[in-house]
Amino acid sequence: MDGPSDRSSVAGVRGTPQVITNGEAGAAHPGRMRRIALLGNPNTGKTTLFNRLTGLRHKTSNFPGTTLEARLGRVDLATARPTRALGGSDACCGRDGEDGDGLESAPVGETELIDLPGVYSLELDQLEARVCRDVLVGVAAPRGDVVGVPDAACVVLDGTNLGRNLMMAGEVLRRRLPTVVAVNMIDLAHRRGFAISAEVLSERLGCEVVLISARTGEGLGELRRALGRARVSSRTPPGDDAGLRAWAEEVFATAASRPEGSGAEEITDRLDRAFTHPLLGVVLFAVVMTGLFWGLFAIAAYPMAWIEWVFTWLGSGVRAVVPEGPVQELLADGVVGGIGATVVFLPQICLLFLLISLLEDTGYLARAAFVMDRVLRPFGLPGHAFVPLLSSHACALPGIMACRAIPDRRQRLATILVAPFMTCSARLPVYVLLTSILFPKQPLLAALAFVGCYALGIVAGVLTALLARRTILRGKSRPMALELPTYKAPSLRTALVTTVDRGMVFLKNAGTNILMICIVLWWLSSYPKVGPPQEADALRGQVAAMKEGLTPLNAPIHWVPRTPGESRNARNEASAARQELELKWDEVSRVEAEIQRLETSQAARESFAGRIGRAIQPVFEPLGYDWQLTIGVVTSFAAREVFVSTMNVVLAGQDDPENETIRQGVMSATRDDGVTPVFTSATSWSLLVYYVLAMQCLPTLAVTAREAGGKRWALLQLGWMSGVAYVAALIVYQIAR
Amino acid sequence: MTEAPGLTTQHQATTRLTQLKRGQRGIVVEASLDASDAALLRAMGLCAAAKVRLCRAGEPCIVAVDCGCGGQCRIGLARPLAERIMVRVDN
Ligand SMILES: Nc1nc2c(ncn2[C@@H]2O[C@H](COP(=O)(O)OP(=O)(O)OP(=O)(O)O)[C@@H](O)[C@H]2O)c(=O)[nH]1
Ligand SMILES: [Mg+2]
Repeated sequence: MDGPSDRSSVAGVRGTPQVITNGEAGAAHPGRMRRIALLGNPNTGKTTLFNRLTGLRHKTSNFPGTTLEARLGRVDLATARPTRALGGSDACCGRDGEDGDGLESAPVGETELIDLPGVYSLELDQLEARVCRDVLVGVAAPRGDVVGVPDAACVVLDGTNLGRNLMMAGEVLRRRLPTVVAVNMIDLAHRRGFAISAEVLSERLGCEVVLISARTGEGLGELRRALGRARVSSRTPPGDDAGLRAWAEEVFATAASRPEGSGAEEITDRLDRAFTHPLLGVVLFAVVMTGLFWGLFAIAAYPMAWIEWVFTWLGSGVRAVVPEGPVQELLADGVVGGIGATVVFLPQICLLFLLISLLEDTGYLARAAFVMDRVLRPFGLPGHAFVPLLSSHACALPGIMACRAIPDRRQRLATILVAPFMTCSARLPVYVLLTSILFPKQPLLAALAFVGCYALGIVAGVLTALLARRTILRGKSRPMALELPTYKAPSLRTALVTTVDRGMVFLKNAGTNILMICIVLWWLSSYPKVGPPQEADALRGQVAAMKEGLTPLNAPIHWVPRTPGESRNARNEASAARQELELKWDEVSRVEAEIQRLETSQAARESFAGRIGRAIQPVFEPLGYDWQLTIGVVTSFAAREVFVSTMNVVLAGQDDPENETIRQGVMSATRDDGVTPVFTSATSWSLLVYYVLAMQCLPTLAVTAREAGGKRWALLQLGWMSGVAYVAALIVYQIAR
Repeated sequence: MTEAPGLTTQHQATTRLTQLKRGQRGIVVEASLDASDAALLRAMGLCAAAKVRLCRAGEPCIVAVDCGCGGQCRIGLARPLAERIMVRVDN
C-alpha cells in the first residue's frame, strides 16, 4: 500500500508545502486503502476520537491548537478493531475472514484515518489551514502515507457550540467529498441542556449525522458504520462568508435548541475574571505552578526511595552471588549502579507528565496564556509561547513542536530558540544530586536552590528571546487572540495513558542508550589494567614488615590467675598489651587503605577514561572540574540525564561499601589526591549553573533544525547556550571558590 | 491597516469594544485590523453583526460571542485587537 517512492510529509513543511504529483489522485484507488480525514474547529475532540478509533495515543488537551500536523492511523471499521500498521508489527493484511463478523472479507472495513489540526476555516492563511487544504486536495499526506485525495471526510463538531462549528461543516460539504458529520461532546451538550436532533441535522446537511462522545465512547459504533457508507452530500451550502453564516444559523435553529442563560456562564465568567486578573491572576498562576511542582517532588519522594532501595539491594545481591572479578564489577557498577542512578527518577518524570496533562485538560492554560502574554510581551514573546514553554519544562521536544501554534514567524523562531533553556525532566536528576550535595542537611535550602535553577533557566530564556528579538529577529509583535475553551473535568484516563507512555520512553532509554553508555564507560574506566604505582609497592613492603611477628587481633589471650593480687596485675598488663596491639593493627590498616587508594587512583587515572578526561580537563579547569567531572560533562553532551549514571560508574572504583545509597557514594568521592572531594561546594554550584544553561540534548537540536527550517538555527542554539553556560559557570566558580 | 472585508456595516453611534462595561451586550459593527487578524477573528465567530457580551474588560478583553445561533464561544483578545473592534451597544 505504501509506495515508498512518493511519500511526503506535511510535518515540518513550512511555507508552501511541496506539491507532489501523484498519478492515482482521484476518487477510485484500486488496491489502496480507503482514507478518511478528520476535520473540524480546534478543540472539538478530533484527536480524542482518532485515538479511540485507531488505538493510537496522540496528544489531546483542552487547548485550541493541540494537533499541528497531519497524522495517520488505521482502523477496521467493520470489526471496530484498530489495525495498527504504524510502527507496530501486527500485520494490516492477511486478516481476511478471521473475525467472523458476518463480513466476508475484512479489508472492506479497513480504513486509514487522518487526524488534522483544528481550524476555524479552511480558507485561512495559516499553517494549520494549509495543512488541511493540502491533505484534502491530495497534494500532501501525513508521514508514512501515500499522497492522495481522501475518500471521505468526517467533520467533528462541538455539540456545545454547534453554531460556529456548522460553518466548518458547510465548507467541507461544498468540497463534494463523501462526508459524515460527527457531533461530539454530546455528553456535555446534554448535561448543559442542549437538544440536538440528528435526524433533522442530517436532513438539512444532506449527509449522515451521528451524535457521539469521544470521551465516553457513546455513538462510536454508529459512527463507524456511517463512515463505512459515507456519501457526497445532496446539499450545497453557500460559498460566501455571510451566506454561510446565515445558512449555519438557520440549520441550527431548525435542528437544535439551546438552554436559556445558565448558571454555568456566570461561573465561567467569574473564573475567567479571577484567572486573568492583573494581580489575582498572577497570584493564582504562581499558586498553580507551585502546587504542580511541589506535588511533583512531595509525592515522587516515596516511590523514589523504594526504587533506590531496590537497586541498592540488587547491587549487593550481585556482589554476593557473582564471584569477584570483572564480571561482578560490570554488573554491579556498570549495569545495576548506572541504570539505577537513572531509573530512580522515573516517578518524578511520570508525575510531571501526569500533572501537566491533568492541568492541560482543565482549560486553565488558555487563561494562563493571557496572564503570561502580559509578562512575556516586553521580551518580544507572545502569550502563545506560554504553552510551548510550559511543556518544555517536561521535555523540550514537544515544547518546540507546539511552537507551530505561534502565528508570527519571528516570535515562533524566538520561542524555539529559547525553549531548551526551560528545565526539562532530564535535568531533574542532576539538580537533585547537586542540590543534595550542596545542602545535605537542609532540605529547605536545597528546595530553594532547586527553584533557583528553574528561575535561572526561565530568566536566561526570556533574556535570550529579548536579545534575539532586538537583533536577528526584529519585528512587530502580533497581538494575541485565542479562544478560551470551556472548563472541563480532566480526563484521568488520558493523563494516565500519557504518563505510561512517557514512562516507557524513559525506561526504554534507560534500558538501551544509558545502559550502553554505562557499559562503555565502565569498560573505559576499568581498562587497561595497570600495575600498582611504585609508592604502593614500597608501602606494601612496609606493611609486610609491620605484620611480621604481630599477634593476630582475634587470637585468644591466655592468662591463668594464681593469687587474687597477681590476677589483677596480670589483667592490667594484658589489657595494656592488648591496647598496644590494637594500635599497631590500626597503623597496618591505615597503610593498607593508603595502598588501596593509590592503586584505585592510579588505575582510574591510567584507564582510557582517565586519559581522555585528563586530556580534555584543561577546558573545564577554569570551571573547577577535575577529570572525573569532565568525563561526566562530556558524556552529557548528547543527553544530560546521563550525568548521574556516568558519575556513578566513573567514581565506582572508590566506592566504599559503607555507603548505603548510590548518592552517598558519589558524594564522598574524592579527587586523585584522595583528600579534596570531587564535589566541593564551588564546583557543585558551577556544575549546577552549567547544567541549567547548557544545550546538552541532540534530539532537541534535530527538532530545532526541522521546526525552525534550517540547521543554522540549531547551531545558533547550540553555540549560544553552550557559550552562556560556560561563561556563567566560570563566573560562579570563580566567585564561590 | 486594511479594512477587513465583510466586517463593515454602516452605522453611527458606535463605541470601541474596550469601552463596553462588564456584562454589557453589543453588536459588532466593524473592525480595522490586519487582514490576517481580521480573517481569523471572523472565522472564530467575531464577525460583523455578531452578538457579543463582555465578560471581562481590560487586558485581556474577554468576550462571549454568539453568532445568533447555538452555543457560545469565548474569545480572549489582547488590547490592540479589542480597541479596533467597534460595536453598537445592544440592550
Ligand atoms: N466531555 C467530553 N470531552 C471531550 C470529548 N471529546 C474530547 N473531549 C475533550 O476535549 C478536549 C479537546 O480534545 P482534543 O481531542 O485534543 O481536540 P482536537 O479537536 O484534537 O483539538 P486540536 O488538535 O486543538 O484541534 C480534551 O480535553 C478532551 O478530553 C467528549 O466527547 N466529551
Ligand atoms: Mg487534535
